[in-house]
Amino acid sequence: MELIGLKDIYKIYNVGGEEVRALDGVDLKINNNEYMAIMGPSGSGKSTMMNMIGCLDSPSSGLYEFEGEKVHVMNDSQLASIRNRKIGFVFQTFNLLPKASALHNVEIPLVYANIKKEKRLKMASNALISVGLEDRMHHRPNELSGGQRQRVAIARALVNNPSIILADEPTGNLDSKSGHEIMKIFDDLHRNGNTIILVTHEDDIAKYSNRIVRLLDGKIVKDEIVVKN
Amino acid sequence: MISLFYENLKISLVAVFANKTKSLLTALGIIIGVLSVTLMGTLISGLDRSFESSMSWLGKDILYVSRYEWFSDMEWWEVKNRPRMRSEYVDKIKNLSKHALAVSPVMQRTASLSYEDKETRTEIFGTNEEYMETISTDLDLGRFFSLSEDRNGSRVTIIGYGLKEAFFGFENPIGKYIKIDNIKFRVIGVLEKQGKFLGLFSVDNQAILPLGAYNRIFSKRGWMRLSVKVPEQKIEDGYDEITGIMRQIRGLKPSEKSDFAINKTKAFEAQYNKLKLAIGGTGYFITLLSLIVGGIGIMNIMFVTVKERTREIGVRKAIGATNGMILSQFLMEAVTICFFAGLIGLLAAYIISLFINQVFPSTLPLGLSLFSIFISMFVGVVSGIVPAYKASKLDPIDALRYE
Repeated sequence: MELIGLKDIYKIYNVGGEEVRALDGVDLKINNNEYMAIMGPSGSGKSTMMNMIGCLDSPSSGLYEFEGEKVHVMNDSQLASIRNRKIGFVFQTFNLLPKASALHNVEIPLVYANIKKEKRLKMASNALISVGLEDRMHHRPNELSGGQRQRVAIARALVNNPSIILADEPTGNLDSKSGHEIMKIFDDLHRNGNTIILVTHEDDIAKYSNRIVRLLDGKIVKDEIVVKN
Repeated sequence: MISLFYENLKISLVAVFANKTKSLLTALGIIIGVLSVTLMGTLISGLDRSFESSMSWLGKDILYVSRYEWFSDMEWWEVKNRPRMRSEYVDKIKNLSKHALAVSPVMQRTASLSYEDKETRTEIFGTNEEYMETISTDLDLGRFFSLSEDRNGSRVTIIGYGLKEAFFGFENPIGKYIKIDNIKFRVIGVLEKQGKFLGLFSVDNQAILPLGAYNRIFSKRGWMRLSVKVPEQKIEDGYDEITGIMRQIRGLKPSEKSDFAINKTKAFEAQYNKLKLAIGGTGYFITLLSLIVGGIGIMNIMFVTVKERTREIGVRKAIGATNGMILSQFLMEAVTICFFAGLIGLLAAYIISLFINQVFPSTLPLGLSLFSIFISMFVGVVSGIVPAYKASKLDPIDALRYE
């Protein structure tokens, strides 16, 4: 079943009078329960692509449908709402709130979704349990290791039962052992039916996915199925 | 929405209390603003109260006839050259006036009073039997002196409540003898408790003597005024009438200026309102100034906060906060700082008002307290709105990339 449809997407910036095509006519379809990696060198447009898919950015032209909703015509509030309901972000630098406990960090998307306190706490602690942090719920980010922080971030991404999890270099700030542990969590999530989109420049990490889309100069140059051995 | 409100409140409280010194310094302007507006209110309420009670003591239906005009800018020698008031005027006024209900001459000086081994210096008044009608105080004990006692020069006295307490304690003073400048006077009455006049001096330590005795002992020379009681609604007519009678007594030609003054409590009121305006004006000016300075401080610190937390704003937007939610978060933070600033200012004002209360009776008005909290929160909204709006309009992608 088609989850995301990008059609003829352009994103054009004007930098110092010069036109920069961050995305230059991109067509892409992503189905339910896909595990996809977006790859490309820096400046290839993969960040823009991620922002576009994550509804953080609107295209200069083109059509973007997310589960049948037309994202390309949405205003700021509607974009915020779709991010809140349908997208879970995992960032390279974790981006947790330093003064809040793990539990509270995971709870925040639910606050914005206007869910009641008791239900929020239950959902947030379940999410933390599912990433193996049941005994770290009340720790602050600075009391957690990098791997644990990223797991909190994953729990936060998961807590709203989003349609996709969008991970931007999720292992970029981790040692390889923690990195692989994190990737294992993504594997599990994928196995449980989640759709995962990974942005990375590491082949090692991309190998976890089932499909690799390669970008260059704002264009998709390769879209391949990963054959696992 | 309620969840969001609590969340924002929590964020604000954490932000404010995580950096107490910064918050306190930021809020100093607001604190001073609230302090000055509430203290000014306290002062004015105290003044109002003591003014009201002092005015009732003076009496709104009394015309005070003397050489001196209250609050006038006349030269002292001009006043000095005016003829004195005389007790003979009393009967003349009574005969000629339609409005006068009571007329009493009042002479006043300080004297030494003693009872057994207790001694004090205080004000004594010499007056006639109608004096009680010209003051708003009643007798607590005993009686006032009679016309014949006045005429005979009987050595009787009515003492103030404070004097009674000081000399007699719980003893009944009626019939006892006190010495006024070493001359024995029999106590026949006690005035009820009155408190302080304009919060300045107590009027409870006086002794009242018949003018007959006063004149024999303390000479006729000295300062005298006449108190003329008229119906309160006729005060203006009474004023005109007494002016005419006094001019007649003094034999003044129409071209000549009056060589006496007739004072009304209204003169006090006018003077008092001037004072109140001065205090109020100064207070409001200081308040306004410090609130503006405080507001600018809050705005400045909120801009810094928004800058510092740009990344957080990006994260919050990425996980679903709308512009409005971000706006309300930062607005709430500004309002929270100002709310606590208001509270601190109010607390300080309350403590200071307790000290002021030692000097003259005053209380922190409740309405003004609530109003000052409201005002400081309002300053929070005004000074927080621009930084909060700026935060809400941040582009999530730029904000997430911000280092």
